Amino acid sequence: MPRITIDDQSYEVADGRTILQALDDLGLLMNGVDVPHYCWHPKLSIDGSCRLCQVEIEGFPKLQIACNTPVKDGMVIRTQTDRVKTAREGVMELLLVNHPLDCPICDQAGECKLQDYAYEYGATHARTREPRRPAKKKVDLGPTIVFDQERCILCRRCVRFCREVPGTGELMVQGRGDHSVIETAPDQPLANDYSMNVADICPVGALTTKDFRFKIRVWFLEDVPGVCTGCSNGCNVHLGVANNRVYRYVPRRNDAVNETWMCDEGRLSYAAIGAADRLREPQLRGADGRLVAVAFDAALEEAAARIRRAVDASGPGVVVALASPHATNEDLFTLRRLLEALGTSSAAGVAVPNGRSDALLIKAEKAANGAGARALGFGGPGPVLDRIRGGGARVLIALGHDVLDPAHGANEELFRSLDTLILLDSHHSALERVAHVVLPARVAAEKLGTLTNHAGRVQRVEPAVEPAHLAYAEGETLLRLARALGLALFEGPWDPRAVSRAIGAAVPAFAGVHVDSVGAEGLPLRGPSA
Amino acid sequence: MGLEAPYVTGYLSEHFADAAYATLQGYQAKGGYEAAKKALKQMSPTQVVEEVKASGLQGRGGAGFPTGQKWSFMPPGNEKPKYLVCNADESEPGSFKDRILMERGPHLLLEGILIGAWATGAEKTFIYVRGEYAEPARQVQRAIDEATAKGFLGANVFGTKFRHEVVLMRGAGAYICGEETGLLESLEGKKGQPRKKPPFPAQYGAFGMPTTVNNVETFCHVPHILSRGAAWFKGIGTDKSPGNTIFGVSGHVNRPGLYELPLGTKLDALIFEHASGVPGGRKVKGVIPGGMSMPILPAGMLDVPMANEFLRERKTMLGTGGVMVMDETTCMVRVGCVISYFFRDESCGQCTQCREGTGWMNKVLNRIERGAGNPDDLDLLLDVAGKMEGATICAFSDAAAWPIQGLLRHFREDFEAHVRLGRCPFPESFAL
Repeated sequence: MPRITIDDQSYEVADGRTILQALDDLGLLMNGVDVPHYCWHPKLSIDGSCRLCQVEIEGFPKLQIACNTPVKDGMVIRTQTDRVKTAREGVMELLLVNHPLDCPICDQAGECKLQDYAYEYGATHARTREPRRPAKKKVDLGPTIVFDQERCILCRRCVRFCREVPGTGELMVQGRGDHSVIETAPDQPLANDYSMNVADICPVGALTTKDFRFKIRVWFLEDVPGVCTGCSNGCNVHLGVANNRVYRYVPRRNDAVNETWMCDEGRLSYAAIGAADRLREPQLRGADGRLVAVAFDAALEEAAARIRRAVDASGPGVVVALASPHATNEDLFTLRRLLEALGTSSAAGVAVPNGRSDALLIKAEKAANGAGARALGFGGPGPVLDRIRGGGARVLIALGHDVLDPAHGANEELFRSLDTLILLDSHHSALERVAHVVLPARVAAEKLGTLTNHAGRVQRVEPAVEPAHLAYAEGETLLRLARALGLALFEGPWDPRAVSRAIGAAVPAFAGVHVDSVGAEGLPLRGPSA
Repeated sequence: MGLEAPYVTGYLSEHFADAAYATLQGYQAKGGYEAAKKALKQMSPTQVVEEVKASGLQGRGGAGFPTGQKWSFMPPGNEKPKYLVCNADESEPGSFKDRILMERGPHLLLEGILIGAWATGAEKTFIYVRGEYAEPARQVQRAIDEATAKGFLGANVFGTKFRHEVVLMRGAGAYICGEETGLLESLEGKKGQPRKKPPFPAQYGAFGMPTTVNNVETFCHVPHILSRGAAWFKGIGTDKSPGNTIFGVSGHVNRPGLYELPLGTKLDALIFEHASGVPGGRKVKGVIPGGMSMPILPAGMLDVPMANEFLRERKTMLGTGGVMVMDETTCMVRVGCVISYFFRDESCGQCTQCREGTGWMNKVLNRIERGAGNPDDLDLLLDVAGKMEGATICAFSDAAAWPIQGLLRHFREDFEAHVRLGRCPFPESFAL
């Protein structure tokens, strides 16, 4: 392992890395050691064209670009000398020669590397009197992205991304010199499953997403770390939150899960959090067969009364449950505890929705925690559905409505035969039509807890927003239901931290893997994963 | 059609007036291919490399890198196929020597390539010919076909076990495809944009294989070096710059054309003795000595010997030997506008300094020429040019900066007059 010196500090770095890569490996890049850069990106091939990352290396007469210079044992690098500063100022000045300097009306302002570096490393005034190059505004590159040629600094991250990550290669540089522009080929729009990542990696305001642009100034957003719940990959995200509303997901780097990327479908799935079809009111089915909104406690009391009546009449075996693959491990463990307390623990399953997958990030399971449900002992929904069909089940506690997915061979009519369907759900569905008790549930962005991705990696979610209505996490609702039934599942009120620790005590795979131990990047389940 | 043979000939071009010399038979009649046969049958590749090193041959494509040393960078062994590339893109404005070599001496080129291939262990050579060079490409392709039919190229060169194939490709028309790694990209069918280094072509060249790139004229010297010896070659030219070169003289001279002369020939001799001086008896104002990317020399420096060691002392270089003469009627701001327009248009646009600097300089120069210059524009130009030097992937940015620096170094008064008068003081100037 080569030992190098950067700004008088000595570091051991991996062989075969370039200086910028080594700094990135050490976690020091722009986080202790400032080597500003535009074209270099940790997950894309090296371009070496923006020339901003020049550093001084002992033994080299000229400054060298840190992105493409391999480390060598004994290399002595300086990143803050006058020569380096002059070179950076020079590059920054040249980058701004054709830039419109329209930060006040640019949507990237506040998270723009051109703006940031111009403040940090640039000169204080412009020397150019020349007109800017003619360039197009608001170029429609495809269904998701709008391009502003004026602001583009031609770092070509977007071009390399399309070639190297989705492999679709829609973008290219058309023309030469200062008349170069990023372009798509005629009738070949930028349209791939990962297209919106180009807006994240665009260091300037050239590429913006149609979904987010001009919705809000980014400095009003709080970035809350979380996990995309669109599929079982569990891509790490930042939820951009303001006014108790999620405005966007942007990928959060996790080299073990999603590197720095996420798919467009997952990215846009934030919209479900504040969607109009959120289930907002607790409801009971009245004598006339219609659902009526009631107070939460009234609904809970009715659910408890119905369970108690059924168990008193026919024993606990008539109570069955369907877990939700969207709920947290903590919610699902609470369901398991409730069923155990009722004495009917084997009568439960989980229905996981399926869809399209690819070799990159998109997984077939369209739920964030199917693997967690399986790790917690929930099998497929078949046995539960069979018992409903056979009449052996009289009460169903359903978390979510994924069982209606045609793949499982059940529609809402199947559930009419039940005496009681208690539905805990975050969004409206056809299952409500046959439910007797309906209780609103939270979504992952409103909870503290953990989710287990397809590879058995346990990742933390935390409340980014509060629901606009009274709703509890499924675990809390179930705990309250248990209390109403006189059953003790856990000590005290709902405490997802305590529940998270309790999982490890009961399920060996979760030993030591809980909401406070998994950190920002998650931890794998112990032993063979789910 | 074809270009006129050089007015002054030497060992490279002495038979160029004879059309038969372009044919295999005619070339062999003058002793052609004997040097290659000698190399393949009597010399080891190392001996060939050493002989070329000993000759002191410097590349004739512009940078003047020692050819033997370049060949020795090729990795030994046969782990991967190795390639030679002949840079026949000749896109430097003012240069037209490779064109005549290909039109009149295509077999000389092929023989040089064969020797280089033997020396470097290359199994294939790609000749990348400038797209506009239809006739040179036709001649070289005809020569390749002749040599292949004769067994001088192919599976068993001269009946030996050495295998060598030559493939000609015509470029698609960008100056930057003459830069060796831009050429490699273009050769591979990609956009001609220079590659960052490392890796260097000798490690990762054409199609990812170890590759050496040499200029047309460079190859053409090699058969002569092998047949007459390194000592003979070193006896021509200067101590540090041996051999002849073919100067292309253009601009304000009575007899523009090609002149094969030893390196170290004085610039004034080239202009006044060989190219017959300036029309109308006017005075020389400035001379670009080696293609447009080389800084200009003022009239007071015409006694310079045309070899890098002397030209460097005057802050310029031999480049490709394309000599452009400008007389006293020339507006040097106009010259700057034309040069900067060319580089602005031809910059590949990858590196910030080059992409933005070429455009900025061109806009400032145009503004000065229009009469809207400011006194501080001159220093601004020098500052921008300074930022463009030595900081980019390839030497294009330097090549764009140097000529403007040269104009300001020697003809600052032209620029100042434009600013002071608010107009161009040269009424005869051509329209931009």
